[in-house]
Amino acid sequence: MTTVTRLAVPSALDAASDALLADRAADGDVRAFEVLVRRHGPLMRVHATRILGSNDETDDVVQESFITAWRQLPTLENGAAVKSWLMRICGRKSIDRVRARRDHADITETDAAAPAALTPHHVAETQEQAEALARCLAELPDDQRRCWTLRELGEYSYTDIAEELDLPVSTVRGLLARARKTLLRELEDWR
Amino acid sequence: MNAPDIPFVAFDPEELAEEQARLSGHTIEDLNDYLDRGRTPSDSSIDDSPACTTALTRLERLRAALRRVDSAAVDRESAGTDGWVATIIDSIRLETRAGRRIPLTSDSPVARLALTEGAVIGVLRTAGDGIDGILISRCRLDGDVTEPGAQITVRLEVSVGADGMNTGESITALTSRLRAAVHAVLVQQTELSIAAVDITVTDLYLTTPPPSSEGEADE
Repeated sequence: MTTVTRLAVPSALDAASDALLADRAADGDVRAFEVLVRRHGPLMRVHATRILGSNDETDDVVQESFITAWRQLPTLENGAAVKSWLMRICGRKSIDRVRARRDHADITETDAAAPAALTPHHVAETQEQAEALARCLAELPDDQRRCWTLRELGEYSYTDIAEELDLPVSTVRGLLARARKTLLRELEDWR
Repeated sequence: MNAPDIPFVAFDPEELAEEQARLSGHTIEDLNDYLDRGRTPSDSSIDDSPACTTALTRLERLRAALRRVDSAAVDRESAGTDGWVATIIDSIRLETRAGRRIPLTSDSPVARLALTEGAVIGVLRTAGDGIDGILISRCRLDGDVTEPGAQITVRLEVSVGADGMNTGESITALTSRLRAAVHAVLVQQTELSIAAVDITVTDLYLTTPPPSSEGEADE
């Protein structure tokens, strides 16, 4: 039996459109699916980590998301929309985790972890600023950070966020407003 | 423009009244919505207010800075993907899409042989991938494949490489080559009676990579 190599062999698929890859994956093409995983997985990992507040469960959530996606791909009508569809699945799985955590132990939410891998070398000023902002984002109160992430990375509407988090739309708007002002303040400190 | 700032005070998240007083009755959220709408229709109560203009500039700066934050985070995740990608791919490999069972005749009276529809579709895809400048996206076997001898129509949706045309090959030439290849593997590896191979070109693709679909990443 030949071993499955995972050297990302360059192929025409790497440049293929999301729509084509989604169609092929729906037909059972694992290679096409792998290109989608590599293409969109990193953003999904960022999304999951921000919603979860740390990267402890990121691997699990993203893996579950892709398994669900693999199973449900044949039902996806518009392959071109696969990215936002994947982000939705990932957002939902992340929120489910947060809920499960809450149900299991009524602990105050886990401390926001420092954003992963803040390597100190070669830090230019903009990069330092970006890192400060990243930290600020990570340190937002959980509910604010979740709304923010769903909005900015998940591209949810306010109504969708409200539905997903089971909150009134006005609350969502308020949380986003607070998050935005906190981030603006952080930015001001860098002038 | 040098707005005679009230140097932009980053607003206290809790003080709505002060915010509105400073921003000619608007809020940061209003201004952010205004940016989302591409500043249209234009609103002079915003555009003519120096305080609002300053705040809009800050909001735009924040957006740009956050885009950098996001794309840096995505870049970090993109480095060293092999571990988690492998785990995901290994687990989905266990869930193949078998589809229908396609019988094969066998010399032995006791052996029953069959191919899965998924395997046949996989073989067709591979045949297509062997032809430069064309990619099969969808593949359907129309007809009762479980019935030996039933007439089957193969329906393929394909994408043709737009810059593969530099080989001078026309779409018709490419699709005939594909049709021939598909026929050949089906004859070789299955006992299906092929009534037709229908090919629809649904897309033209560029072989240069698409603009990073991590979408909102920088500029």
